[in-house]
Amino acid sequence: MDGVLQTNKLSKSYGKNAFALRDLTINVKKGEVYGFLGANGAGKTTAIRTLMNFIQPTEGSATILGKDIVKDSVELKREIGYLSGEIALYPKMNGRQFLSYMSSLRPPKNKDYPGKLVKTFKAQLDKPIGNMSKGNRQKLGLIQALMHEPEILILDEPTSGLDPLMQEYFFDIVKERKSKGATFFISSHNLSEAQRMCDRVGFIRDGRLVAEQSIADLTEASSHSFEITFANSIPMSSLQSIDGASVEKLSDRKIKISIKGNLKPLFRLLANSHVIHFDKPAASLEEEFLQFYESTNRKGAK
Amino acid sequence: MLAVIKWGLWSRRWSTVWWCVGIISLIAINVLFYPSFRDQSAQLEQSFAQIPDAAKALFTDTGDFLSPVGYLSSQIYYLMLPLILSILTISMGSSLITKEEQDGTLELLLSRPISRTKLISAKAVVAFIIICLVTVVTMISTLIFASMVDIEVGLDKIALATLLSAILSTLFGIIAFCLSAFGGFGRSISVSIAALVAFGSYIISSLGEVVSWLSGVAKFLPFHYYQPAEVMYGTYNWSYAAAFVVIIMILFVISIIGFRRRDIKN
Repeated sequence: MDGVLQTNKLSKSYGKNAFALRDLTINVKKGEVYGFLGANGAGKTTAIRTLMNFIQPTEGSATILGKDIVKDSVELKREIGYLSGEIALYPKMNGRQFLSYMSSLRPPKNKDYPGKLVKTFKAQLDKPIGNMSKGNRQKLGLIQALMHEPEILILDEPTSGLDPLMQEYFFDIVKERKSKGATFFISSHNLSEAQRMCDRVGFIRDGRLVAEQSIADLTEASSHSFEITFANSIPMSSLQSIDGASVEKLSDRKIKISIKGNLKPLFRLLANSHVIHFDKPAASLEEEFLQFYESTNRKGAK
Repeated sequence: MLAVIKWGLWSRRWSTVWWCVGIISLIAINVLFYPSFRDQSAQLEQSFAQIPDAAKALFTDTGDFLSPVGYLSSQIYYLMLPLILSILTISMGSSLITKEEQDGTLELLLSRPISRTKLISAKAVVAFIIICLVTVVTMISTLIFASMVDIEVGLDKIALATLLSAILSTLFGIIAFCLSAFGGFGRSISVSIAALVAFGSYIISSLGEVVSWLSGVAKFLPFHYYQPAEVMYGTYNWSYAAAFVVIIMILFVISIIGFRRRDIKN
């Protein structure tokens, strides 16, 4: 047991058979970025709120940094940075007052670090929080979670409301903190985001962890799709004969091909053809995730 | 913990100022009218004689409106002051935890290394300081206005009557605090139950003086032991007030136990 965040059959139910979280067993290693993925209502937030001891587990147990999440909750919070999924701050405070209040409740280890985060995220400090956009409130939420440089970061939908540039900054900070040994437990329903920052992901559905996979394995297991435009006619029969390929004709000269497995035969064929355009559409993980859900749903139905 | 207290006081600074202004104004209006009331006591005595005892019992614990103690009791201490202070204490008691919980900011505080016991204690300290402040302002303003109109009641007795009123109101406030600390009740339910206890206790205790079958029930209610006129006459049994304080402390401990064990709503 070398994990810094471990749960053992952690469950939360509201009455008989009304499980919001059921038998969650995970083991997140030091320095790992663990993505906790699932659709809305799958149980991600319940798991996070249980880990934070906002709600009490009805069965099972969990430890963070070797300490019990219920008994040692107060002590643990010194080393945890937390961001709620539904960011709620104090609307009457301005950004500066808010960060000062949060700092007084848990002082930063390095006094310059909060200022650095404010600069990175270009956070507004003098505007009342009640007048801020969702994105600006989210920046303050992230800063308060990160500013004491915690060992563990438990973040519920951290990029929600951030523009793409700020998302990039956030991914950079994740990398930086990870390089210094911080461990992340991040919930998300955005798979491309998980692909960008996570080492490993767990899929949760109806309160149960249905699968865990490293991002590398997941990406490898996923099919690769390409859109190819030929100068002349499409070598359809040759394309269809490639192992694991499914070909869809988009126009007289354009096809979409999805291949699971070895890509060598495709490229060998293309080398002998006159290709004028070659494109790889994104979101393979999304497709994989949906396929995964659909297949487990079908298995469940049987 | 200090930061939570500081922010709690800061965020309520203007509402506290307005409470003080409102109370000072009401006390000024009521006390400064005393000389004209006293001058017309002969005519007013005939009018008050026609008021039924049950109606009189709702406004005073002395049965008279014309003596200095009767006047202060009927105009300030028996109904107005405990009513106003109870509105303040019940609204604070119900909102200190519940508002942060409904707004979602309670999670922010609990994500810091601060125990639930310390957090709820800090909230209680905020309420305690505000109640003390409003009580002191009430006390000082009553003393100033009473000395301006030469009302023949000892200033120390007036101060003690104000204190008793604050203690009773705190008792109703802690009921709302306790209910909200246990959760499961929304803010409005906590307010409603505490207000029902306060108002029901007042009605039953007042009418218990003239309706014999209510007098037995009244003995189990706090308002029965709230006797500001007795305080001003110097004959009040202060063990009743001590019992109020003990109940307040017990309810506070119960609030802590309830808050420590319950799930925070989101």
